[in-house]
Amino acid sequence: MIEKMAKVEILGLKDAALDAIDIIQELGTLHIEDLSERIGQMPGKRVTRMEMDPKFADHEATLNNLRSKVGDMIRELSPDVDELPREDIHSEYKAFWSDNIETMIARIEKTMAQIEKDTRDPAERKADLMVEMSRLEKYAPIMYKIQPLAERVARMKDMASIALIIERKYKAILNYLNEEISKLTNGECEIVASDVDDESTAALIVFNRHYLKQVHDFLAVQDVNQVRLPSDLARKPIDEAVGEVRARIAQIPGELEEIDSKLSQVTGKYSVQLVAARNAIHDRLEAMDAVPKFGQTDQVFIISGWLPEEEVSKMEAALTDKFDTKVVVTVVDIREEQEEAPVALRNNAFVRYFEIIYMLSKYPRYGTIDPTVIFAVFFPIFFGMMVGDIAYGLIIMVLGWIIHRKFSSKPLMNMAGFLLTMGGVWSIIFGVVYLELFGDLLARQLGVIKEVNGEDHIKYLLGSEKSLFKYPIDRLEGFTFMLGACIIIGFVHIGIGLLTGIANGIREHSRKHVMEKGGLLMVLTGFMMALGSFGFSWWPGALVGVGIVLAVAGVVMAGVGGGMGGVVEALVGVGNIFSYARLIAIGLASVIMANVANNLAKQVGGSGGVMGVIAGIVVFILLHGLNLIIAMFSPSIHSLRLHLVESFGKFFEPAKYRYEPFKKTGGEE
Amino acid sequence: MGEAVKIGMIALSAAIAIGLSALATGMAQSRIGAAMAGAIAERPELAGISIILVAIPETMVILGLVIAFVITTLKSA
Repeated sequence: MIEKMAKVEILGLKDAALDAIDIIQELGTLHIEDLSERIGQMPGKRVTRMEMDPKFADHEATLNNLRSKVGDMIRELSPDVDELPREDIHSEYKAFWSDNIETMIARIEKTMAQIEKDTRDPAERKADLMVEMSRLEKYAPIMYKIQPLAERVARMKDMASIALIIERKYKAILNYLNEEISKLTNGECEIVASDVDDESTAALIVFNRHYLKQVHDFLAVQDVNQVRLPSDLARKPIDEAVGEVRARIAQIPGELEEIDSKLSQVTGKYSVQLVAARNAIHDRLEAMDAVPKFGQTDQVFIISGWLPEEEVSKMEAALTDKFDTKVVVTVVDIREEQEEAPVALRNNAFVRYFEIIYMLSKYPRYGTIDPTVIFAVFFPIFFGMMVGDIAYGLIIMVLGWIIHRKFSSKPLMNMAGFLLTMGGVWSIIFGVVYLELFGDLLARQLGVIKEVNGEDHIKYLLGSEKSLFKYPIDRLEGFTFMLGACIIIGFVHIGIGLLTGIANGIREHSRKHVMEKGGLLMVLTGFMMALGSFGFSWWPGALVGVGIVLAVAGVVMAGVGGGMGGVVEALVGVGNIFSYARLIAIGLASVIMANVANNLAKQVGGSGGVMGVIAGIVVFILLHGLNLIIAMFSPSIHSLRLHLVESFGKFFEPAKYRYEPFKKTGGEE
Repeated sequence: MGEAVKIGMIALSAAIAIGLSALATGMAQSRIGAAMAGAIAERPELAGISIILVAIPETMVILGLVIAFVITTLKSA
């Protein structure tokens, strides 16, 4: 249901404004109304927008800087915020918080300086080591390749060498380099090359030391990539340098581990403070951002906003206790501005999980009926009707419950998990109705479905083939029966939507609205009365006549209530009933696929030997697994769609605003 | 022979009913899908509602399936 809201205007002397804002934020119940638009339309300009003291504007910049610093530090240390004890964060938050912004900034800056001091050195050392490691990892394979060549060169007196690294696809350039360097060195040169990996080739140019400068100059002009070792290694003989590289590569991970352990100690020590500081800064900036939404005169500040009706007395008491008559709370009559009211929902613990639907749509408008309960009742039933398999239902139920419990702090996943659990429960119920467990597996085991001369025959446990109601309801054989059932369910579902629309119209004293929705309901009822004659031979002809009259009268009534739009809606709305055929159609696709999985697994399994059995089991698991994944997504989407398009589309009016109170996050940002 | 032709025609009709409606659904979904992919790139919060919008044309193929099933029942008529 939608929470009953009240609108209040808080007036007080300007010197009490900051303290009053602080109390309002502490209470955390007021959804602030931005007064700037109303002030702009006021003649005379006696009331203006409240402006922040220029001194505070400086603080805002400092707080913003601090916020990014704290944020960077949290990202760097990456503590597991969800695991931090809430009470500790809250007590640190209180330690940071002060009515005096300067004091609060000083406290946070002091803490940040300490954290930076403790983390700077290890963090810098870690960054250096990571750079060194990546450089060594890049050069090590090249050096290993060059080492035997370089050792040979080292034994040749008067010879110099330069190592190159080139892309393998440009390997042909080595011939060109050989020719050109030969010219420079009068033939006293040789190039040896070896592939390092799929992409690069290492080459060593050996030439007379006498031509060192010319060769270097030539290579510089050619812009080829010379291997330059870190300066400390470059001066050493290649075998010694390779040895050191190997040793460093082995050593660095240990050093990194040591630094990580130091950083992790620092993270554990400071993460609570960092998160508390982040929250305190956030709250302080929120308070500052709110100031321009308030109004002021020379002497008085004005704050306007919405809050749940039952919270008004607490707000009055808190402000009166602190300021006595210096601040006054006035409750405003909202009859004229109900549409502007922010909407808060208050449902019981079960229905609250189904508020997930408002992640796809806005909240219902204030003053109308909250349809979450309709969704809570019908979503799992529709889901179960489409899946309708005991085994699938059981798996979905368990999986949903695990998701629900595991993601208790993540609302979307928590709610989705609960919906899956409930969907799973109804899938089991409908699985019993259809007698399906992994498709027709159970029915075949129980002998309900028997193959005679290549054709399946059903032996009903209750009733016979000719009975209207029989058990089990086979979705393939009983397709027509289920189609009829789906249309009746559609009528009930859309009908509830239209009745909700009528109730909304009555609440808002809108006769036209009531007539439009009522007309639509009459058309729908009339249509169903006429449709009955197609389903049942005994259906009285009089009912068909009454139905037609009702439908025509409904079209007229919808036209009177909603104009041309109402007439069109009445005619098109009837078609919406057929959309509920998806309840059987989706299920039919699922059960056919399950049966295919069973048949295929049986055929493969029976092909002979242990391997055949194993292959059969694999086919069974894979195909049922795929069907199960489809069974989790497709029915959810189609059930959602039936609500959002077919049913809610008949009455739902979206709210302008959600209730978002101005509050301190208190460590729960 | 006559019976075989009758069954064949019924099967063909059912196939056309489901096939054409599936094609139509596919065409509509491809356009909606492409438009929604663009919209989500600009406004990621539309991801949820886009799933519903993409599912809207599926009514066609579902009704196609229903019609195809009704056609197959003619076999026994």
